Amino acid sequence: MKTKKEYLIRYKNGSLYCELADIWIDPSKPVNKALITHAHFDHFTFGCEEYISTKETAILLKERVGDNIKIKTFEYGEEFKINGINISFHPSGHILGSSQIRFIFAEEKWLISGDFKLQKDETCKQYEIVKTDYLISECTFGLPIFKWDESNKIANDISKWITNSPEKTSLLFCYSLGKAQRLLNEISQTNFKGNIYSHGSIHKMNNSYRELGIDIKDTIKIENKKKIDELKGSLILLPPSLSKGSYLKNFKNIQTAFASGWMSIRALRKRSGYDKGFAISDHADWDGILEVVKKSEAKNVFFHHGDSEALSKYLVEKESINVLLFR
Amino acid sequence: MSLKKFSELFGDLDSINSTNNKIEVLKRYFLSNEQIDNSWAIYLLTGKSNKRFISGRYLKNLFSQIYEYPQWLIDTCYLKVGDSAEVITLLLKNKTISKAKKLSNISLNELLSEIIPALSKLNEEEKNLEIKNLWETLPEDNHLIFNKILTGTFRVGVSIGLITKSISKLINIDEKIISHRLMGDFKPSIDSYEFLIKKNINLQELNSKPFPFLLANTIEDKIFKHSINDFQFEWKYDGIRMQIIKRSGNVSLWTRGQELVNESFPELVKKMSYIKDDFVLDGELLVWNFKEQIAFDFSLLQKRINRKSPTRTIQMKYPIIFIAYDLLEIHGKDIREIKLENRRIELEKYFSKWHYKTENNISDIFKICDLIYPKDWSDVLTYKEKSRENNTEGLIIKKKTSIYSSGRKKGIWWKYKVDPMQLDAVLIYAKGGSGRRAGLYTDYSFGLWKDQELIKFASAYSGLTNIEIKELDKWIRKNTLEKFGPVRSLKPEMVFEISFEKIQISKRHKSGIAVRFPRITKWRKDKKINDADSLENAYELMKKIS
Repeated sequence: MKTKKEYLIRYKNGSLYCELADIWIDPSKPVNKALITHAHFDHFTFGCEEYISTKETAILLKERVGDNIKIKTFEYGEEFKINGINISFHPSGHILGSSQIRFIFAEEKWLISGDFKLQKDETCKQYEIVKTDYLISECTFGLPIFKWDESNKIANDISKWITNSPEKTSLLFCYSLGKAQRLLNEISQTNFKGNIYSHGSIHKMNNSYRELGIDIKDTIKIENKKKIDELKGSLILLPPSLSKGSYLKNFKNIQTAFASGWMSIRALRKRSGYDKGFAISDHADWDGILEVVKKSEAKNVFFHHGDSEALSKYLVEKESINVLLFR
Repeated sequence: MSLKKFSELFGDLDSINSTNNKIEVLKRYFLSNEQIDNSWAIYLLTGKSNKRFISGRYLKNLFSQIYEYPQWLIDTCYLKVGDSAEVITLLLKNKTISKAKKLSNISLNELLSEIIPALSKLNEEEKNLEIKNLWETLPEDNHLIFNKILTGTFRVGVSIGLITKSISKLINIDEKIISHRLMGDFKPSIDSYEFLIKKNINLQELNSKPFPFLLANTIEDKIFKHSINDFQFEWKYDGIRMQIIKRSGNVSLWTRGQELVNESFPELVKKMSYIKDDFVLDGELLVWNFKEQIAFDFSLLQKRINRKSPTRTIQMKYPIIFIAYDLLEIHGKDIREIKLENRRIELEKYFSKWHYKTENNISDIFKICDLIYPKDWSDVLTYKEKSRENNTEGLIIKKKTSIYSSGRKKGIWWKYKVDPMQLDAVLIYAKGGSGRRAGLYTDYSFGLWKDQELIKFASAYSGLTNIEIKELDKWIRKNTLEKFGPVRSLKPEMVFEISFEKIQISKRHKSGIAVRFPRITKWRKDKKINDADSLENAYELMKKIS
């Protein structure tokens, strides 16, 4: 019988931790050594002695928080050793530079999915199927009501939404890193040919993407003193943090929308306070999670980042997969 | 025109906040679709169709059965979504259904006048097969509308007023006329739509229809500055608001919900037809305590509302009365534009004529409301406080010069309700909300002390702000003692002030009491659970009132 001590990776103080290597994965408090799956702020904390990530994640992080951090980088698939444990990054398809992390020790494989999606996204590397014995997967959208439409369909809906109200300024709220660039990429392939503006925080990330070789449509950085008339019929990308408060007073005659997987549910759409919701996500939907669980060939699965009760029960009952809980 | 267009209209109306834009979208829809489809659209949008062909539970079971889906998984999804029709719509997306032939061009009319009515004629097995077949042949973006119509849960954020406005703007005819045309029965057909949008106005055609009701607003401070002599004062009865229409000798009873209820109250129809004149009266239907000359509680009226063709025994046991407070039409002449004080004179004149000249006694079922004559505004307050004694909800204050317009017209009629009763109670259970509040714990149950135990005495859903709801939801998740399906029992810690209108003995409840319209009026973070009220306090409150 296995006891919790024998697990190579476990939960400690709210974060994943590998004791044998004395290394943390996306820790929420400062530690010695931290593996970073991707450059979103909810996966990063200041004050660690040393960070380890992919090259792209390192560049994006430095762009966001400054050069004052020590990051060691590795290519996707490149193995490195810490205390005899083989560690490697693999594309997770979430955003540019995002990765799954595999640990191999004593012929036992562990895989941390990181945030991931299987859907098409031209702004980052496609999710790579990695075989493992133990899988630690996110399950943000772990219910079968979540089934994503093709992203070009959503982009066409967005394009229609803008062009149907030519007298309005369309404000589309989305995360500055990843979602914004994916949307730009998709929207530039639709019939919408008007001006696209983006908020400074998004503009900065667009530039970084471009420097990293991702072809992102050029947008105009939004200035507060912009004349209202010029914005009619155009699209403005803004981070969700600006949706509440006085920022919106800078614009006249607007319509607002939020791009997020949660917007597939009418009640959440209504509650969100935005006029419209576009259900597009950089996380896997139900089918995506099931596919990864199956294709990884993991015998044991852990879930985190989400409500996993129903998903676990389903896998145990229907797929006879062993779902474990962190204690 | 395809059902797809209507699905799009639904999506647009659902995501537009501005009234003007909604009107534009509706106008565009009406202009670009067949009359018959428009007629059905109005039928759905004005909420005239809420017929449930199958229940949400049935729909979920059927899905589970057809696609071998675990029931518990569907139930878990429901907690997040809060609407059976939508859950099934979302789950259907996840079924890669490939059918060679998709019914792409089905119209709203076909769906509502052929396909769905045909369903209800089938036996269960055939019906299930047919629903499965429709799920698999209807285009995906029609699923939500289809499921919602099946389960009778089609609702979208447009009011009758908004539909009225759109049609009024579409054909340039006064809103009043349109709203009158929309009153009462509406059978979807080309004729009913043509009638609605017809340019010439012939009042004769509105004969079978009630007038749009005029409603009172909540009291405003500014009225206290006016002279008391500018207003008429009436008791606010707690019954069914009703217009009695007698035209060409035929009597019809219309409720404010625009239902014709002749069959439920045959004794009233009979007596009113004894009156020789034609008229339209506006008033309140009540179950009446003839001994004390006050209304019985609303709960007794409920025993009559849904019962068609009541027996003599029921009629005797729950004797009804119609109390008229306004006369809107007499001898076929619309007098709504006359000032209230003059309408009142007419009402009194005709009432006394009818009372004395009608051969059969009618005053055991029909009277006019007594007016109250307070000396000044502080006297008004005294009357208001007395209203509990005669089982009314407070006062209605009407400007003497007001004409009978429609809707919740501002600045002419007000309701001045008696202050609610209040108790401080402890939150003991929470249940997931539905609809817009899906995924949050928003249905709360509250307990009062009895010895060392908290006994549930009321459930409430409303009264907290959205921010408070979120905060409480978080707390509930962290302080759950036990889960029973969607219900959680909670650590007793949070105290709330609960307001309600009535309190009475009830054998059905463990607490022995039932309250009417309970709602949260304050989150008493300043109070500990020991400061909450006891059942004893509730009983005392009840004694004090009766």
